[in-house]
Amino acid sequence: MPIASVCLRALIVTLALGLLVAGCGINAIPTQEEKAKAGWSEVLNQYQRRSDLIPNLVETVKGFAQQERDVLTAVVEARAKATQVRVDVSTITDPEAFKRFQEAQSALSGAIGRLLAVAEAYPQLRSNQNFLTLQAQLEGTENRIAVARRDYIEAVRLYNTELRTVPGVIWAMLLYRNNKAMETFTISEEQMRTPRVRFN
Amino acid sequence: MTGAIQSLIRPARGGPAILLALLLTAGVALAQSIVFPKLTGRIVDEAGLLNASQRNEITSRLAALEAKTTDQVVVVTLRSLSGHSIEDYGVQLGRHWQVGQKGKNNGIILLVAPNERKVRIEVGYGLEGTLPDAVASLIIQNSILPRFKANDMPGGIRRGVEDIIQVLTGDAEEWKRRALARSPSREPSWGLVIMLTLFGGIFALIFLQMMRDLGVAMGIIPKKRKGIWRTLDYVTSSSGSSGYSSGSSSSGGFSGGGGSFGGGGSSGSW
Repeated sequence: MPIASVCLRALIVTLALGLLVAGCGINAIPTQEEKAKAGWSEVLNQYQRRSDLIPNLVETVKGFAQQERDVLTAVVEARAKATQVRVDVSTITDPEAFKRFQEAQSALSGAIGRLLAVAEAYPQLRSNQNFLTLQAQLEGTENRIAVARRDYIEAVRLYNTELRTVPGVIWAMLLYRNNKAMETFTISEEQMRTPRVRFN
Repeated sequence: MTGAIQSLIRPARGGPAILLALLLTAGVALAQSIVFPKLTGRIVDEAGLLNASQRNEITSRLAALEAKTTDQVVVVTLRSLSGHSIEDYGVQLGRHWQVGQKGKNNGIILLVAPNERKVRIEVGYGLEGTLPDAVASLIIQNSILPRFKANDMPGGIRRGVEDIIQVLTGDAEEWKRRALARSPSREPSWGLVIMLTLFGGIFALIFLQMMRDLGVAMGIIPKKRKGIWRTLDYVTSSSGSSGYSSGSSSSGGFSGGGGSFGGGGSSGSW
């Protein structure tokens, strides 16, 4: 066999192997999928944390503003409803489930906001140490939710982009046929965030 | 089309939803284009609230804290928040500077924005249990804000730092456990690795040249300098005169340890 063609073949094989080894993005899809799933876990974690603060909040407010029964009940019900929505990793590729989750959390945000607004009218409650602690925790959690959402949205953006652009779309057709685009938040942060009530 | 884009265009929601979505995206894009001050030390006093002796005193306390517990605490005073909320600014600044040790994420930033009259204690992922939001809020409300309201900015900052240090080192058992968990090995800097590789390559070439010379002297290798030996001569002769300028990364100053932030902490305003 002439040396030139042997060398040429060796070169081609080396290049092909090189491309395969470098991956050319073959690992990008699963890597980004895992990152997006981790981001989703963090979002759920923070929403759960907020949910856990609510019983304490309701009890504290009840101690001072028992007559505000409507608002208190509304919060308890909104929380129950939000807890009932089944959420797990599969939610991020299921548009309907994702929408249900977003709406339930949004309703809960609204109810909490109304409760805090009502609490403003009770000076004893406002200066209660327990309430101040809860307020600080709630604000911190809302901020963490916002950060977790931003991280998740970015991770999903990268993943969805990878699925739709070359070379990701090629690998998706060949190897990752079951991978679907992930959902992202459509209700803006402003609507989801409870209003900040400042007591000076 | 993906579900996200579908729901954006759905007519039932119409214009406002698209506008909100655009604003949200714009907010994210804008957020990533903040020009942060450089991390020149443990205190970045852009707003000029502290004098030199105050800065030195606080810096030495923070350095002692890091030596004891590897926690990194940084104090920043800003001339302006450029329209961002202090919460947004704080978490992005923390991630940009990477305050706190990689993996442990034990960083804290005390952020003061006198122009907007806002202050924030930004707590890294790893310290959210040790310095919870409620405690950060207490520090701000009881130690920092009263002094800020009385226009005693250095006093407020100093007291805030003292309280933070106290909380971080408060529990002796915790402190001991964390100090023991400190990893003894340090990651080699990449500059050093590249330098070593280059030096290694140069030394290998010089070594080869020496062996060749030895071979020639012993009569094993022909004296004619052909092909690869010619290249070798060229490289080794020029490498002798090449001055490799090493770019030192840090002149012994302070730098972030690779930590990350998740939005924990508390804010206050006066």
